Amino acid sequence: MAGLRTKFYLDKQNRKWLGVCAGIADYTGVDVTVIRIGFVLGTLLGQGTPLLAYWIIAWLAPKKPGELYDADPDQKKFWQSVRASPRRAGRDVRARFRDIDRRLADVETYVTSSNNRLAREIEQLR
Amino acid sequence: MHGPEVIFLVIGIVGVLFIGLPWLIFHYVTKWKSQATITTEDENLLDELHDLARRLDERMSTIERIVQADNPNWRAIAGDPVETALEDRSERLYEAERTTNRPARRT
Repeated sequence: MAGLRTKFYLDKQNRKWLGVCAGIADYTGVDVTVIRIGFVLGTLLGQGTPLLAYWIIAWLAPKKPGELYDADPDQKKFWQSVRASPRRAGRDVRARFRDIDRRLADVETYVTSSNNRLAREIEQLR
Repeated sequence: MHGPEVIFLVIGIVGVLFIGLPWLIFHYVTKWKSQATITTEDENLLDELHDLARRLDERMSTIERIVQADNPNWRAIAGDPVETALEDRSERLYEAERTTNRPARRT
């Protein structure tokens, strides 16, 4: 993996102007239209301060490397949750493993008990 | 607007622009930096674990489908194996024999 997935990048693939709003949307998972509307409203109300911030971000932040564009929306969502809170994302992964463990235990119980049942049925046939 | 008023205004603007603003920015930068961050290794580990969980999830679903096809009532048996195991299948067999008028067991 060449680049860190938890860094902020300009999203040049989904950009309207310089890719800052698309980058924020990609980073946080908030809908890009909401961010753009908020930005435009902020520019109108805040006498251009957000515009300055936009420029500074566009100047400072690196472009998103091509290999970090996730084709899978599930993967994208997962990394957004990691960026929001790595600890909670880790706990989510643990919860998934526990769920798998529980389901596997169910199947195991069924398989072993049905083997017992089969053995008993064979016993009865003798 | 002359004299001390202009000076106060200039001092106010300069104060806000060159002290207040950087202070605010650096306050949030330090706050953001002090938050728990993860390294590239952590990231790779997390990526791998997430992928592993997803694959295991899919395999588990496949196995559950297979078991479900084998015996639709398997969850009850897994929950209470001793009570339900024997009667369950035999009843199903009798039922099948009665409705089709031929032995349900395959030869």
